[in-house]
Amino acid sequence: MIYLDSAATTFQKPAGVAAAMWDALATMSSPGRGGHSAAMRAADTAFQCRTELAELFHLDNPEQVVFTLNATHALNIAIKSLVPPGGKAVVSGYEHNAVTRPLEALDAGMAVAVGPLFRPDAAAEAFDRLIQPGTDAVICSHVSNVFGFIQPLEEIAALCRARGVPLIVDASQSAGVLPLDMTALGAAFAAMPGHKGLYGPQGTGVLLCGDGIQPRPLLEGGTGSLSIQQQMPDFLPDRLEAGTHNMPGIAGLLAGVRYVRQRGTEKILDRERHLTQQAAEGLSQIPKLRVYAEPKMQNQTGVLSLTAENWDAEELGAALARRNIAVRAGIHCSPLAHRSGGTLETGTVRVSVSDFNTPEEISRLVFAVRQILAQK
Amino acid sequence: MEHYLILARSVTYAQRMQKVLSRAGVRCQIFRAPRDLTNLGCAYAVRIATSDLTAALTALHAASLDPVQIFLYQRGLYQEVHP
Repeated sequence: MIYLDSAATTFQKPAGVAAAMWDALATMSSPGRGGHSAAMRAADTAFQCRTELAELFHLDNPEQVVFTLNATHALNIAIKSLVPPGGKAVVSGYEHNAVTRPLEALDAGMAVAVGPLFRPDAAAEAFDRLIQPGTDAVICSHVSNVFGFIQPLEEIAALCRARGVPLIVDASQSAGVLPLDMTALGAAFAAMPGHKGLYGPQGTGVLLCGDGIQPRPLLEGGTGSLSIQQQMPDFLPDRLEAGTHNMPGIAGLLAGVRYVRQRGTEKILDRERHLTQQAAEGLSQIPKLRVYAEPKMQNQTGVLSLTAENWDAEELGAALARRNIAVRAGIHCSPLAHRSGGTLETGTVRVSVSDFNTPEEISRLVFAVRQILAQK
Repeated sequence: MEHYLILARSVTYAQRMQKVLSRAGVRCQIFRAPRDLTNLGCAYAVRIATSDLTAALTALHAASLDPVQIFLYQRGLYQEVHP
């Protein structure tokens, strides 16, 4: 299979990930739940994973790294910690339902800072207009999961710092690909999956907590600490980690993070951009196909959307699947992004690469799309 | 054998303490704290030699990792101390 759906989940993992998960199953129990060797081995692995993530994302302390089920779980904690029912949030025009649905559930006011695709200057201006005193939080996807558009995060963070408004970063598409410096940004939270650009297994996510933040738990329960007390601990990570940890997942995530750190996010981004540019150039030559790409890829990562005249996106995605090419078609759980990009009515076919794709695979994609469209 | 137990807020804090102490040249081990030492419930502690207390506290304080409680183990008994 040619797998080009890494914006959903990276499918090819570094070799060490499966081995680490197997080792965890064989040798680890639960961190913070005993002093025996199986518990302490689990605690060492969890601590090492927190430490390496804190280093990668420039946090001072490992306890600021909280393990979650996925990015959605992390975003729910962040949003519900900062936005009260009926509160006010400013979001980018390219947010996922993982952001907009929690805000809807809170009945929060949502001001959308939107500009044209691949125009970070316009996005920054829109945020500048909308961030007001009384805004409870600004929530911004670092990279659009539909178009790969990189938001001007540094500018948005500077606006938030200047106006005293907390910033939540959805790093679902950028973690492991773009640099993210929590300390320099001064962000309150950053949420990310473990199973995309960090190359961990499904069922892992991370919430990075900025300095001085006291988040609200989504779940209450056992933490292995302060067991007599009936309130959740007031310190991280225990405050947000009720219940038994996903140790095979955390061990696999640690192996994935080590791959990213060893390889370097610059090299990964460079490879993904070259592949995406190759795809954009090849697909752009095909009649009646619209490719949403920025020519120089300066404001785009390894995610590319396309639409074909007289083709339903799902139909084209299914035709590619029959040729053993995995892409994602439809709305991608991001109707707001499609509305902003002008593709809500049609949806798009999304091609998204990882560090494990090759130029040959991209050539086969282009060939397949050309053949499929010519047959109709 | 006489030693000190430095009580931490959680296993993660005990691990941070261990890392800081190791960097400061203080040998230590992480233990589950004996149940009767604390009314907080389950807890972890780091164990250090009695001769290392001053160096350990200096290093922990510099890392903003002040102990929850400190106990001296002597003649088979733990006694809370306030150095």
